[in-house]
Amino acid sequence: MSQSDIVVIAEHRQGQIAEITYELVACGRKLASDLSGTLTCLLLTSAPDTFKGCNLNVDRLEVIEDASLGEFNPEAYHKVLAPMLKGLAPGLVILGNTGSGMDLASSLSLACDATLIANCTEITAAGGALSATSQLYGGKVMATSQFSSPMGIALLMPGNYAQEEGQAAPGAVNVQAPPEPLGTLRTTFKRFIEPEVTDVDITKVPVLIAAGRGVDGEDNLEDIEELAEALGGATCASRPVVDQGWMDRARQVGRSGMIVKPRFYLALGLSGAPEHVEGMKDSELIIAINTDETAPIFDVAHFGSTEDLFDVVEPLAEKIEELRG
Amino acid sequence: MDLIVLMKQVPDVVEELVIDDDGKALDTDEVMYIPNELDEHALEQALLLKEQHGGKITVISVGGDEAKDALASAVAKGADEAVYVEAEMEGQCDNHKLASHLDGIIKGRTFDMLLTGVQAVDDIDGSVGSLLATHMDLPYVGGLAKVSADPGRRVTTVEKEFPGGLLGEMEVTFPAILGVQSAEQPPRYVPVSKVMQTKKTLEVEELGDELPEVSGLAIQEMVLPEPAERAEMLEGDGEDVAARIVELLQERGLL
Repeated sequence: MSQSDIVVIAEHRQGQIAEITYELVACGRKLASDLSGTLTCLLLTSAPDTFKGCNLNVDRLEVIEDASLGEFNPEAYHKVLAPMLKGLAPGLVILGNTGSGMDLASSLSLACDATLIANCTEITAAGGALSATSQLYGGKVMATSQFSSPMGIALLMPGNYAQEEGQAAPGAVNVQAPPEPLGTLRTTFKRFIEPEVTDVDITKVPVLIAAGRGVDGEDNLEDIEELAEALGGATCASRPVVDQGWMDRARQVGRSGMIVKPRFYLALGLSGAPEHVEGMKDSELIIAINTDETAPIFDVAHFGSTEDLFDVVEPLAEKIEELRG
Repeated sequence: MDLIVLMKQVPDVVEELVIDDDGKALDTDEVMYIPNELDEHALEQALLLKEQHGGKITVISVGGDEAKDALASAVAKGADEAVYVEAEMEGQCDNHKLASHLDGIIKGRTFDMLLTGVQAVDDIDGSVGSLLATHMDLPYVGGLAKVSADPGRRVTTVEKEFPGGLLGEMEVTFPAILGVQSAEQPPRYVPVSKVMQTKKTLEVEELGDELPEVSGLAIQEMVLPEPAERAEMLEGDGEDVAARIVELLQERGLL
């Protein structure tokens, strides 16, 4: 490969290509085209037949087959990818800024002596020089950095490239064994634990009232629940609220929680960290109430207010109940 | 069990962030440092493991003077040994540099598990835990919502988070480095008076001097997001804002 060639690392679970993979391909496709290079996807699996026919818009799909590659295992993936990438020597390797990608990127960066840029929202190849824009400090700052080494590694945040552009039949498909035997592994994937089934599926309700750290206590959630009820919707929360045990994990919106697209999303006391925004930014109408006027939630919200959230929630619930009679 | 908890100081993003005159880093004079929240979860998970299996927790706290306060708080909560690693970071965090530095400090120690937060708000060149594990040739898994241990078999069973609430259960042999996303319970509270009391008698081992030359990446430009991309602000007090929200919902047929 040359410096104009791009490699993406596929993510899949339970026999399904993960959505982020199409976004990685869409981003890689654009860069390969701008650089007049090729785009290759590396997909690690124990069941190549499941993925040989998959719809990835790449020049070459390299399926690496081994019994230890059934589900994601950071150690097994590293043992396959480090020698492969050193051999291929592409200009850029793109992984998802996800639980799996984040486990791999740092170790690959050291193994391949590659500049690693995380939290990327956009990767460009202006004048042949690869650079990336990343979100920092909970989304409050945008940073631009260049890939200064011959090989770069990027962690791409979900939701920034259109999945459709990553979907087309691959130019060629090849199945091969890992470059080196994987030997004894210290990490073993055991099983998946499915989320508990709960009374409300927040991905299916039209109105969501979301509580962030600013709700400042479990007792305050009662007012928010009343408002959600008045609007015929449900409550949900950001990670810190769930971690405090104030709401069930099934109500968590964001990277490791649910992806929601309601008709109306009211974000209360929510800062809008990138991990949360990933899960709700495609909502039809987003209104954010947060006393911190620099909170990144206002970058994704359509309307906002810096009033105290409870000064808004109470009259809002009253007005809605009046209207509903 | 021998546990190490690795904690670092990060800018408090609730405060206003100021970019320095070069436009490449934060103005450090304006930064308030606080412990990385996910490192607090790593500490809580370690305390739970110690309660269940016994053993010792060594807390390694990295940063400026504020990092020493984090040590007093960790010991007040139940950690046994406190190590301070001075690392005055510039206005940009460099985890490649930090991990290389910590490798030199930690590699002589024996431990079963090293727990740290899976990420921090200032990470841009990868996570400290994963970089450190690569330097030390130890297994690493991050994004964990639960860590349990079987000291007899010298393995840990972890639950790693995936999108949609899915968890992946993995088994990792000791010694391992683990990136914690959230502890099994919220980090415990310790009264300030107890922290102050601990501070009086706390013995802190201070380690490390010069940071190594290696570096992750150089940021070329930092900017605050453009106001033009931001939400339309609703004017007035709470009543007015509520009235406007009702109008917006009515316009869209949501009421």
